[in-house]
Amino acid sequence: MSYVDTAAATINPRARRRRLLRKRFLRRPLAVIGLVVALVFILAAIFAPVIAPYSAGTTDFNALLAHSSRHHLLGTDELGRDVFSRILWGARASIEAGVLATLLAMAFAVPIGIVAGYYRGWVDAVIARLTDVLLAFPFLIVAVGLAAILGPSLTNATIALGIGAAPALIRVARGEALALREEDYVRAAVANGASDVRILTRHVLPNMLSTLIVQATVAIPAAIIGEAVLSFLGLGVQPPTPSWGVMLADAQSYLSGAPQLAIYPGIAIFLCSLSFNLLGDGLRDVFDPRTTR
Amino acid sequence: MGGFLLRKAGAALIVVFCASIVVFAGVRALPGGPAQALGGENRDPSVVAAINHAYGLDRPLPVQYVKWIGHALRGDLGLDSRQLPVAHTIVTRIPITLELAFLAVLIGTVIGVVAGVVAAVRRGKASDHAATATALVGLSVPHFWLGLMMIIAFAVDLQWLPAGGYVSFGAHPIQNLEHMVMPAIVLGTGLSAVLMRQTRSAMLNSLGADYVRTARAKGLSEWAVIGKHALRNSLITVTTVVGLQLGALISGAVITEQIFVIPGFGRLTLEAINQRDYTLLQGVVLVAATGYVVVNLLVDVVYSLLNPRIRVSGSTAA
Repeated sequence: MSYVDTAAATINPRARRRRLLRKRFLRRPLAVIGLVVALVFILAAIFAPVIAPYSAGTTDFNALLAHSSRHHLLGTDELGRDVFSRILWGARASIEAGVLATLLAMAFAVPIGIVAGYYRGWVDAVIARLTDVLLAFPFLIVAVGLAAILGPSLTNATIALGIGAAPALIRVARGEALALREEDYVRAAVANGASDVRILTRHVLPNMLSTLIVQATVAIPAAIIGEAVLSFLGLGVQPPTPSWGVMLADAQSYLSGAPQLAIYPGIAIFLCSLSFNLLGDGLRDVFDPRTTR
Repeated sequence: MGGFLLRKAGAALIVVFCASIVVFAGVRALPGGPAQALGGENRDPSVVAAINHAYGLDRPLPVQYVKWIGHALRGDLGLDSRQLPVAHTIVTRIPITLELAFLAVLIGTVIGVVAGVVAAVRRGKASDHAATATALVGLSVPHFWLGLMMIIAFAVDLQWLPAGGYVSFGAHPIQNLEHMVMPAIVLGTGLSAVLMRQTRSAMLNSLGADYVRTARAKGLSEWAVIGKHALRNSLITVTTVVGLQLGALISGAVITEQIFVIPGFGRLTLEAINQRDYTLLQGVVLVAATGYVVVNLLVDVVYSLLNPRIRVSGSTAA
């Protein structure tokens, strides 16, 4: 019996494709580095309470604006709070905003985009106009509006970032659906009398998954930077909750005296978003059917 | 081409209309409503009712909307909390942001397109790898942080440039540019990174196309092939990308102006929210959304001029 199973596995096209994709991915050192670093940030965010040497709010008044030392790896800020610990805690807001905003945008944009591309006609035209309306409100303007209506918070910043990321995703999903509806297997399903819901969920959606994964990996770093921007402006995470954007906003008052306070959180944002971008670029190549290597 | 632009203009009008409804509805969704914002600490129901009546806020919403949009179309966006006309405040702030945006787009386009062309022409060589890597860094770096780093380097340490502030071009052109150079670079980097990647891939496509081979076969110089044939076609992509990046540019202007203390439209947006000045906020958001749509329409005009397929047939390529 086991013999048959192995034989089936070698012929099984899905398993073969998975193996091929994994092989292609592992041949791209930058993508692998991106994945590893991104995972490090995600783990840091999850396990911040365990890893961080100090809690985010612990003040050490004997070491205000201290430089790096054994006690404080990256020094301390104006209230004597450990910068390294705050960067670890701050990863939570960034990762949370990055991932949730992207998921929110996906949940909203993908069904709309698929419907527009699959049905075309007036549905497509209406959705295209609505997308244009969404595009006319950049995420910062949406965030400003939400902060006015609901008050500034990480949740509202995440919603604003999700809305901001949606138009591009709608267009991508629409484009994919437009191409996929012409595929033979979709026509075959139609001929077999499959319902629209079945065609969209069983044939169209699974076949655009790789494109969507790449888009998600690119949307996450954009949202991470967006969260930092909003928190920096006071429209996102509210102090004393640590966030990379809040840390940079605080550091602005000490640019001449303690420039290191502005340097470390920025490097964290940069590395975190670079890792996701490297991963996204790598995945795009891996999934690209023109890729031969 | 006329038909194409007419259709685009019609679509833009619809978008502005929908956007105005969103703005209108947003202000009505404010906690306590505009009446309480105007009444300040005075929460007496009779005062609120009086304000509601005076401003017509007790009328049906569609009536209120028509009245509001009618005023807006005549350039009347109401009075802010200091009783200054919102439209006037916005009009005085916009030129500053337009200058910043113009310089940023200029810097971003020049760097992005040149780097993209070089990377595509020298594909696989060191300069290609360097440009591609720089673009990836440019995409991943938070631009406002880059701004802070530039202030530390060029204003605090080297003292070459002012850390912030604004001098109008009319008053002192040199000082104006000194104040604008760092903000423009900060705002332009993101654009240049996106443009570099798009230009590179568009150029790679054009360089592999038949008409480029024909141009080479005709014996045209390499410069003529790249400049007149490949690049011209890649510019279509570039225009689209610039148009799509407008939203990012508006968001970017807000934070760049905040960091460099530039009293432009972006900073006005933050002032409106920080002072809870809802009339001002409403005006700012409406103008931002309309401005976005108008500039996108201009991008479509440029696009149709560059793209012969639209110029000749008038068919939508969208």
